[in-house]
Amino acid sequence: MHIPDAVLDPRVAALTGILGAAGLFYGLKSVEGQLKERTTSLMGMMSAFIFAAQMVNFPVGPGVSGHLLGSVLAAAMLGPWAGAVVIAAVLIVQCFLFGDGGLTALGANFVNMGLIGSVVGYAIYAPIRRWIGGQRGILIAAMIAAWFTVLLAAGACAAELSASGNHRDFFRVLSWMALVHALIGLGEAIITGLVVRFILLTRPDLIEQDPTFALEPQVPGDGPPRRWLATILGGLGVALAVVVFLSPLASELPDGLEFVGQRIGFLAAESPSSPIPVPMPDYQLPLPSLEHVKAATAVAGLVGTLVVFAVSWGLARVFSGAGRRSERASADAA
Amino acid sequence: MRLDAPDDRGKRAGPVHRLDARYKLLFTLAFVIAVVATPIGQWRVLGSLGLLLALLVGISGAPVRSLVLRWAGFALVVGFLAVMVAPGLPARASHGLVTVILSIVVKNSLAFLMMLVLATVTSWLDLLQAMRQLGVPRVLVATLQFMERYLHVLGEELARMSQARRARSFQGGSILSWRLLTGMLGMLLLRSFERAERVHSAMLARGWDGTIRTLD
Repeated sequence: MHIPDAVLDPRVAALTGILGAAGLFYGLKSVEGQLKERTTSLMGMMSAFIFAAQMVNFPVGPGVSGHLLGSVLAAAMLGPWAGAVVIAAVLIVQCFLFGDGGLTALGANFVNMGLIGSVVGYAIYAPIRRWIGGQRGILIAAMIAAWFTVLLAAGACAAELSASGNHRDFFRVLSWMALVHALIGLGEAIITGLVVRFILLTRPDLIEQDPTFALEPQVPGDGPPRRWLATILGGLGVALAVVVFLSPLASELPDGLEFVGQRIGFLAAESPSSPIPVPMPDYQLPLPSLEHVKAATAVAGLVGTLVVFAVSWGLARVFSGAGRRSERASADAA
Repeated sequence: MRLDAPDDRGKRAGPVHRLDARYKLLFTLAFVIAVVATPIGQWRVLGSLGLLLALLVGISGAPVRSLVLRWAGFALVVGFLAVMVAPGLPARASHGLVTVILSIVVKNSLAFLMMLVLATVTSWLDLLQAMRQLGVPRVLVATLQFMERYLHVLGEELARMSQARRARSFQGGSILSWRLLTGMLGMLLLRSFERAERVHSAMLARGWDGTIRTLD
């Protein structure tokens, strides 16, 4: 999902650059206030970890593999802004040392993967975690947040790309990005879930505590006042992610279709055989017609959401007892 | 992506290697912005920027072969992205699709190669020092320095764990390998946390107060 140089319009690059810089400054300030002189070692080590973790390839199918992005994982371990700072460090090193992601697109990449990935991701994660409660809540919330943030980041990426070109082209880019990232997001959710599960089974204390009621028994509905802002942001994030999937279906844009018609030679290269997405790496995809893409995008969104819910419940079953036990233990300790 | 960035790149002889990293960083920034801001179809401007880059590569003695190899893999991805994006660009009407795609790829390649040249002729520490002097927040620079230091450590740790896994299990079976791989990542995450704690204690014992001090 790294946007390279020269793809974005200079104005879009400048705008996202300013937005990213502002977000990063705010993130650094808040992390420094929270961690004090521990900032450097913890942020540096976690950045190195996310960087290394991104190099582990997961087999998806024959000849195809995917890897973790880690935005939600970092946010679940350290909190939203620390997660964003970690992602920023990873992006800067990737850009300067490896040429991965453009220098002028650094802001856009940080907005997509850091601010949306970690901060909005955490805003989705926190209310779900609080609502379900316990270690179960942590696992399920992390997986759902990972799934939705990959889609949101893809949506933001599509928005940036189409803002750089023809605005009416937005839905075409969006449906492609959403379709491909439905699959990537599924992988991200499952990897994030399995890693979080591993941590919960070994060192649950390392996971960032819910500041509002860390040691309280988790009773949905009552207890200390919820942080409404996070809940609203999270709800907004989920709603937007749903829109990412459904809007291509709703759009009746003759321009997009005309355009496809003009390029039919290019698009028809792959026969529109299967509306079900096949495993694909980041940017390489077969090219069925736009109608199929729209339908497939919506189907992928629906199926993906259901799969994430099902898998996360399945993985979290382990914690039905363990969660309560550890809560009791921590309540005893308090 | 490989962790093949040796720490002593900046120490190799060469006039460009010894230049103040601040100038190199600012020059790179200016070069990349100039490339990106060049309007589509201005081949003369891009050509002269390309010549400038070639001249730089020549003077600095950056390894051409590895630059080209890195570029080739990258250009494929960018080419695909350009094919996807170019049809929507307004410039398509005046310049034609092929010109638009080609200029995206060329502009991108110039920027990419410039970044690689910068990374080849400047050590990471010099680059960070330059960033600090140019006003990048100190916490961020310190974090980046720390990160690069432990990138290699964690990379090696990962390689050891991966070797141990390969020695003890059969290949294949993606469900199983996902469990194993996430276990590996989880383990690495735990070890990273614990290492951060240990390193932090060691830093405190040596008077760490949150600011990095350098001799220059």
